[in-house]
Amino acid sequence: MSMKETDDIRRADLNSGNASSSLRFPGRTGYLTQKKNIVLVSHGRPPWYGPDGERMHDAFVIGVAGGSASGKTHVARQIVKALGSIPAIAILSQDSFYKRHTEEELALAHASLFDFDHPDAIDMPMFATCLADLKACRQSNIPVYSFSEHQRLDETQYLYGPTVIIAEGIMALHDPHLRKLYDLKIFVQCDSDLMLARRIERDVKERGRHVSGILEQYLRYVKPAYDNFVQPTAAFADIIVPGTNNDVAIELISTHVRRQLQERSNAFRRKLAVPRLYSPGLSPLPGDEELRLEILPSTSQVQGILTILRSTDTVRQDLIFFFDRMATLLVENAMQFLPYRPHTITTPVGVQTIGQKLDTKYICGVCIQRSGGVLERGFKRVLNNVPMGSLLIQSYSKDAEPLLLQVKLPVHLRKRDTVEDTWVFLLDAQIGTGAAAFMALRVLLDHGVKQDHIIFITYLVARGGGIAVLRRAFPDVHIICAAVDNEMREGWLEGERGEGDPEGNGRRVWLMDPGMGQDANYEIYAHQQFNAGDRYYL
Amino acid sequence: MSLPPPPQLHHSPSTFTSPNANPSQAVLPPSVYALKPTAQLEALYTIIRDKDTHRGDFLFYSDRIIRLLVEEGLNHLPVVKKTVTTPTGSTYEGVGFKGKICGVSILRAGEAMEQGLREVCRSVRIGKILIQRDEETSLPRLFYSKFPSDIASRYVLLLDPMLATGGSAIKAVEVLLEEGVKEERILFVNLISSPLVSKPFAPVSHALKS
Repeated sequence: MSMKETDDIRRADLNSGNASSSLRFPGRTGYLTQKKNIVLVSHGRPPWYGPDGERMHDAFVIGVAGGSASGKTHVARQIVKALGSIPAIAILSQDSFYKRHTEEELALAHASLFDFDHPDAIDMPMFATCLADLKACRQSNIPVYSFSEHQRLDETQYLYGPTVIIAEGIMALHDPHLRKLYDLKIFVQCDSDLMLARRIERDVKERGRHVSGILEQYLRYVKPAYDNFVQPTAAFADIIVPGTNNDVAIELISTHVRRQLQERSNAFRRKLAVPRLYSPGLSPLPGDEELRLEILPSTSQVQGILTILRSTDTVRQDLIFFFDRMATLLVENAMQFLPYRPHTITTPVGVQTIGQKLDTKYICGVCIQRSGGVLERGFKRVLNNVPMGSLLIQSYSKDAEPLLLQVKLPVHLRKRDTVEDTWVFLLDAQIGTGAAAFMALRVLLDHGVKQDHIIFITYLVARGGGIAVLRRAFPDVHIICAAVDNEMREGWLEGERGEGDPEGNGRRVWLMDPGMGQDANYEIYAHQQFNAGDRYYL
Repeated sequence: MSLPPPPQLHHSPSTFTSPNANPSQAVLPPSVYALKPTAQLEALYTIIRDKDTHRGDFLFYSDRIIRLLVEEGLNHLPVVKKTVTTPTGSTYEGVGFKGKICGVSILRAGEAMEQGLREVCRSVRIGKILIQRDEETSLPRLFYSKFPSDIASRYVLLLDPMLATGGSAIKAVEVLLEEGVKEERILFVNLISSPLVSKPFAPVSHALKS
């Protein structure tokens, strides 16, 4: 059993988001397997699905096996380092998957008489399930094992969205179900003497143990396990890497992985922005019927509010007030999509009456940041007690592809057993190209939310924009809006030095017309595509 | 903020045993408008009718209904065509609001509706009327009123959560008429009204009934 502390590598929790900070996982003191699981986020995640809404490819999974102290973790980290700027990499340690022990096993473990180096000590089915979920781009809740308590803890570690997953452990290539999941199998080959030497040095230095004890454990468990279970799995490896001086091998591996990922990436947003160019089956300007949009009844107040929101003359306080008021109306209207059931109550005058009651187990809200936040105050006026999550989706400046930068979802959506009964209100100010909406919906569906349990609330939809493709990919999602604009214009934003584009090279933008948030001269509101957010916040 | 007084069991019990069975628009007098009887609206009413509902929930959910009522009420105000320039440089043919409004709450219960009104009409002026039943004549009597000075030129949203016998509501409308408010500019907004009373009352106001 190895108990290395990960040290110098920059670590960032995918959920806590900030890609540049080097966060350590919060938690208890003592050895937790969480510390061995590394999630490294360098920049956002590009689309992993096609225009039909289906996942185009799995995450790339690498299995790294080898004897204890052979240098597996080192190899895994070198690969991560060499891959550099890929979206998100997770290193999953086999140690997380030690089984929950019985009382007797626990006593043995504390007396150092439990064989942790036997394949039976590891919960292989669970390892395979977690890995299969991550490979299929679904969320996973990784068990947490405490070495100081010798026990699996009740808490789990939520993980979603890595593009590359490295599963690392002495038995990583042992289980046939696991082997089937790997795209690349690596065995780290190291001389037995060298492994023993490293082990003695580490255990003496880091854990203050005596050499005799280390040797006894080595001869009793480690060596037989290596000979019987670990070494034979080298036969399954695609590539055998030396445990020392392996720079060339690492270079070969990372070049291979990078090329695999390259082939998988695609320019996605352009296909969405002008769907009729790419999808000949769609009519140029689909009608409301075809798009199945729930549009707010066009009362005089709704028309008046829209006029205020669209006008350039509206002052800031008015803009915020009317954005909030419209949001309240939209959310009140969106409540029609939730199920209700008859409910008998007694009124204060003592009369029984049958009314209606919400028939939902869990409800939550998810904002697409930033501009979805415009709807948040209105949302809370209607649903004040539901958990809120957020998705940060930005467009990459050069090709305007959406990038998923941060996923913060309520616990109902993280857990597989509650997500099926969860209704989600997804908030964004506009659906223009639909790229952000598309990505957000895919994230929710990856988590196992039912399509007809998603209610998308937005002020404005562009009829000629991405909505048609969005509709075709996700036919059962409810979409409610205040108005539909006909036009979607392509523009070029010149010399804008801003987020993601420090050189000011200019970039492609899509504008909704007449719209409510972008400036024709690209001067004031031009930092973002979804600029209702700029008008509200900046 | 005060809770509406408990209704007196004054009318036929059937009114109360099926309170959520909204009568269709057809049976209402022409100037009475009810919110669309949707399941989500009925669910809100179920919460505020339930005697076991906590105070915080009662306030939150009655505010939600009041906002919807005020939004519906405002749709009866006139609008004018208005053309604006959008940030993309296009022109948009929209509408602008016309005419000033003010709220008048019938004390005490009407005050409960003021917050909902303010969330829809931000800086609206709010007048007050206190009407109580005269112990001797048992007729409603005006005790106190305070209005914006230009109330005669405004549209008035008259606020009272319950319309039962309609006595104080009729008295309040009389007071407003004396102030010079035009009859067709009075919108009476209430959460629950009894169908029996809204008929004789209907000619003098727009009652929004649910």
